[in-house]
Amino acid sequence: MRCRRARDLMPARLDGELSREELVEVEEHLAWCSTCRAEWQKIRAVDQLFKSAPARSAPTHLRTQIMTRIDRREQARRAIAGGLALAMGATAVALLTAIPIALGLLENLGIAPALLIGGVGTATQLLTLLDALSRTMLVLLDQFAVPLVVSSLSSLVVALALNGLWIAMIRRLRVAG
Amino acid sequence: MAFGRLVEAYQDPVYNLAYRMLGNGPEAEDAAQEAFIRAYRHLASYDPRRPFSTWLFSIASHYCIDRLRRRRIDWLPLKEEIAEPVRLASASPNPESVVTERDREAWIQELMSDLSPQDRAAVILHYWYDYPYKEIAEILGLTVSAVKSRLYRARRALADQMEGEAYALQTS
Repeated sequence: MRCRRARDLMPARLDGELSREELVEVEEHLAWCSTCRAEWQKIRAVDQLFKSAPARSAPTHLRTQIMTRIDRREQARRAIAGGLALAMGATAVALLTAIPIALGLLENLGIAPALLIGGVGTATQLLTLLDALSRTMLVLLDQFAVPLVVSSLSSLVVALALNGLWIAMIRRLRVAG
Repeated sequence: MAFGRLVEAYQDPVYNLAYRMLGNGPEAEDAAQEAFIRAYRHLASYDPRRPFSTWLFSIASHYCIDRLRRRRIDWLPLKEEIAEPVRLASASPNPESVVTERDREAWIQELMSDLSPQDRAAVILHYWYDYPYKEIAEILGLTVSAVKSRLYRARRALADQMEGEAYALQTS
């Protein structure tokens, strides 16, 4: 056996991964080659030093610190999920209420064609629209009583559905608990 | 909380891994916390067919390797990160008798500080966790032959360093 091969096999010998034949070969080589024997002793010294080192124990507060960070993280996630659900619900309510009213207003006042035409008089038309809106709001509330009730009920259903979704999400987020 | 029981069970080995990788207590504590938080965050991606410890040590090892790489990029010499200075007890040339029990720890950390982050991780998983090559390869995302060659290279480097220090003590 050559020195190079003997040295290549040294780590495997430390880890007990040599075949019986390889082990005999290495032993024979080490018996007569003082250079490789010195190399073997060096590597074995590393092995012995590292095997003698005990494992370090975690500080007693480590677990508490980890669990506190996880709790904080969970609270933040719940708050974000809750906020998101509320924002979605509020948007749905706003849209369901505003769209029928806006459409009705545009139709009743005949403003839609004016808005489409646009051009130089757009600013004046918009001012007119705002003025008309403010003046006729009370009158129109009577006329749109039915759509308002319908949209409110729809909003309520959507909000309840989103709430259920939120609760389901929170339950899923509690991966371990 | 069920995760609390996992933290309880694995906090010591994860902390030891981080301590051996980073070389000091405060950073090891921080890294151990981070490893558990990451494990919690990615719990859904854990494959229950694999041992939990392998998965967790993989997260911890990679976090520490990244941290060591960042440390190198920041041009901080690794040896300055060692908490306690190394003082050898005697000037004997034999490394096995050079250190007292008290100094052994610091010496080991100093020896490892010259290894590359991945070589260091392979050495730690081999000596403190007694993992076979295959398991180390899985944890570090390497092939078995890459683990073997890394361990071989690391041991040679450690042996040379030990010999060098013993020689320096002998001639000083």
